[in-house]
Amino acid sequence: MTIENDSGVSRRELLRIGAGGLGLGLLGGLGSVPPVLGQASRAVAANPTGKILVVFEWFGGNDGLNTVVPYGDPLYYKHRPTIGIKEPDLLPIDAHFGWHKSMRGMKGLYDDGKVAIVHGVGYDRPSFSHFTSMSFWHTAAPNGGNEYGWVGRTASSVDPKGARDNLIVNVSDSQTLAVKAQHHVPLVFVDPAAFKRGLFAQELPLVDALSAQDMPVGDAHRYVLEVTKSAAQASEVVRAAWGEYRRKANPDLRLLDLDKVVALIEAGFPTKLYYVPLRGSLFDTHVNQAAPHDRQLQYCADAIEGFFREMARIGRAGDVVMYVHSEFGRRVPENTSLGTDHGTAQVNFVIGDAVQGGQYGKPPSLADLVLGDNLASTTDFRRVYATLIGDWLGADAAVVLGQRFESLGFIKA
Amino acid sequence: MADIKRFAPGPTVWHDDLSPLPRSEWSYDRAAHLLAHAGLGGTPEEIQALADLGLERAVQSLVHYERTQNPRLTPFVESGFWDPSLDGFPDSRPEATDRAEASGASMGVAAKPAGNRPIQPISDRFFYWLRATMLETRRVGYWWANRMLQTTHPLEEKMALLWHGHFATHENKVRDYRKMLQQIALFELYATGNLRDLAIEVAQNPAMLYFLDAQYNVKGAPNENFAREVMELFTMGVGNYTEKDVRECARAFTGWYFDDLAFNVDAAKHDAGAKEFLGRTGAFDGVDVLGIIFEQPVTAEFLAAKIYRFLVRDELSPALRAKLGALLRDAHYEVKPLLTAILMSKDFYSAASYGGHIKAPVEHLVSMLKQLGVDAVPGVPDFNQSTIAMGQHLLNPPSVAGWAGGKAWITPGLLIARGNVARDVLLPDMTGFRDWNFNAGSDDVLGQRLRDGFDIGAATAVNDPAKMSEFDRVALERDEKFNTRISGYIGWEQAARKLIPTPRDAAKLDLSALVAANAATTTEAVDYVLSRFLRMPPSNAMRAALIEFLTKELGTDSLDRAKTYMEDALRMTVHLVMSTAEYQLV
Repeated sequence: MTIENDSGVSRRELLRIGAGGLGLGLLGGLGSVPPVLGQASRAVAANPTGKILVVFEWFGGNDGLNTVVPYGDPLYYKHRPTIGIKEPDLLPIDAHFGWHKSMRGMKGLYDDGKVAIVHGVGYDRPSFSHFTSMSFWHTAAPNGGNEYGWVGRTASSVDPKGARDNLIVNVSDSQTLAVKAQHHVPLVFVDPAAFKRGLFAQELPLVDALSAQDMPVGDAHRYVLEVTKSAAQASEVVRAAWGEYRRKANPDLRLLDLDKVVALIEAGFPTKLYYVPLRGSLFDTHVNQAAPHDRQLQYCADAIEGFFREMARIGRAGDVVMYVHSEFGRRVPENTSLGTDHGTAQVNFVIGDAVQGGQYGKPPSLADLVLGDNLASTTDFRRVYATLIGDWLGADAAVVLGQRFESLGFIKA
Repeated sequence: MADIKRFAPGPTVWHDDLSPLPRSEWSYDRAAHLLAHAGLGGTPEEIQALADLGLERAVQSLVHYERTQNPRLTPFVESGFWDPSLDGFPDSRPEATDRAEASGASMGVAAKPAGNRPIQPISDRFFYWLRATMLETRRVGYWWANRMLQTTHPLEEKMALLWHGHFATHENKVRDYRKMLQQIALFELYATGNLRDLAIEVAQNPAMLYFLDAQYNVKGAPNENFAREVMELFTMGVGNYTEKDVRECARAFTGWYFDDLAFNVDAAKHDAGAKEFLGRTGAFDGVDVLGIIFEQPVTAEFLAAKIYRFLVRDELSPALRAKLGALLRDAHYEVKPLLTAILMSKDFYSAASYGGHIKAPVEHLVSMLKQLGVDAVPGVPDFNQSTIAMGQHLLNPPSVAGWAGGKAWITPGLLIARGNVARDVLLPDMTGFRDWNFNAGSDDVLGQRLRDGFDIGAATAVNDPAKMSEFDRVALERDEKFNTRISGYIGWEQAARKLIPTPRDAAKLDLSALVAANAATTTEAVDYVLSRFLRMPPSNAMRAALIEFLTKELGTDSLDRAKTYMEDALRMTVHLVMSTAEYQLV
């Protein structure tokens, strides 16, 4: 299966155009760099069908039961006499579920038919460790492993020879396992302004020599050489795109790290896969969970709502699908510290104009708990991945995931 | 004439071979490899001194460091932030002010009996300590970096750094620099000691007890946080125990807590009943449970692998892992015999171990200073800001899992930051530098407004009060129990007034003298710099470009002609070398 080249402009070409336009090579262009991005933006506008996936990872173990609250089930209040949220405090979804009041931004998108709520997402023999469970999600290999992440393998499927640079962007302090790829060096950064090699003018001509060694002595050396090469190219264009983004300080937009994604999409980056792990997460709510959970959900829901407002502003809302997941949900009964411990199945969200809004997957029973008071998962998380990889990105999900998973059908035909 | 030290990794047949390196294979290059991995590198003179000892005595001098003096280390000097009323510091600002509303005082500060904002002093006090312990912890990190640089026992500090990342806690949650200092002392004391004893000490360490919610782990309502991490991250690794083991383990640790800086067991909160743990049954407490954990063969392998990966290289075969685990178990978890075996082995000097280790950011910065022959960590650039930019904040690891290490240290952004830190050390921006310890960030504007005569209501308004009418401004002052926004600013001020300033001096460097003593031409100068700073072979293109660069900058290929003005050009040459891919590896 092949994928259209979204913009018609490859990263290498983009850099070539930009470098030529500036007459300075890759090292120049410290001011505004509209020629680079202007070319790309026009190319995108000429072919606006490029499809983008943004994964927004909620590390820490979000309490799904207090996010999409089953207020219609008396067992919910039996398990959670203190931290269970009462119906009047919820934003309505239907006769059984209500949104946590901090999810106002998500409710708006849901009411517009743009949010798929996926219930009971998990896997067999779940791990209760943050790190282990997240590594299963990152590799799409529960109780197993894979050297590369599911997003990285999707990149390999989309672009088998690794011909396209900057296909993956990872807004993170360090590289997320999910994006680790065989042929692509993901662009990893948090602060675009700091993403700059500080060289004096006399030193600039030597930048290519820094990675000139073509006989690496081992795997680590080869890796650092590859990243050195990619860093020289990528940092320039990221900073240029960020410099062009005019709504950084807009008080109406609290985008968390999604602001960098907006800036790159607006600048016409060739990136197809964005991966944004939440930083400084408050989701690991073992103790006195109400206040931190309220706050964290509001930050996240507002950021998602603002992100899609920005996509609408730049005319790309139809091209972007966002996927939200955690590494696990939390235990059904509250603990004695007014919090919840690590659990199993969770609720996921898929958001975008291309999404057929509604509820997918069977909500887990609160009566038949498993593994020490936990939800039995009803939807393998790889079905969500398969739907995104196949129905949205048009790649072969069975190849990426190593086996076939039935689509959940939340992408509009 | 520069003496180019040959890059001489051993043959691949040495890979995984733990038998000792033949004495005939010992050399300057092997000594440099040893010092880079078992220490933080050094000057050519330090490497030569190690080479002169011969293999066995060289390894002994690093591992049995307690046999030699360590004259330059000095104790941490406190700014004087702490007093006993801060004991039992509340978890949150609401908790602090609720306490004061209920009892009239909190954290040694009384509420005002009358007037507006009666609880304000308590809110201020809360923010004072948040700022104070954060600022003091930066000083602790800087002090530790100086120990790493000035110690004559480099393996001790390197292993302490390993344990800090392994038994990870962060000040951001612990909120007490004294507990973090106490932990560094523990990690230094047990750096190469007995791992079972270290694990018990860690389980009874106040920073760890607070960090993993021990206060909530009580009889009848166990909290699994510590129990899970002690097995998953500290000793056995995931998959070697059941969920029931986690729950039973948590029961064994119930009632464990601390009284200020001392470990304490609350007998009333301890569950003394029988537990079934890893196939054994008994009325175990935490020490018993740790004893059982250390009887498991997987524990020795897990810990030996951690040490090996930290010191030698990322890649580790299952066969070698098993052998290293057996060594540690046979030594009853004493670390020195394992370290000696690793550092003496053919495997350690084999090709796979050369360039197989990506330096951690703290290691990158401290070893850079050691190689430069600098004797104190400079104040410009700021040590903590530099390592944070490269992805490592001492005393604030990102989570209980510590730093991922290995390839995770290198992304395009972090790699660029490494080169930038080298530049800031070699060519510091002395006039542009601003001390972040005396900067309240977004709270700065509040200080300005108060000093401009605005009351607290106006100063903390969202809009700029200077642009409002007098009438509107007066209306901003309001009755309230306290104002947390102004407390944020007052906390900065109160803490900064007590904080001992960090000296903001540049690194004391004289590269001109260093290079001139070893080279006469620009070609020799570049070869000397490459051999002094790189453990990996540079590309011919890099070497040629550097020679061209230096010759052009100096306007001559003769160092003698350029000796009066060559300092900055030499510093740029070293900066470029430190920005290469090769410099990130040892």
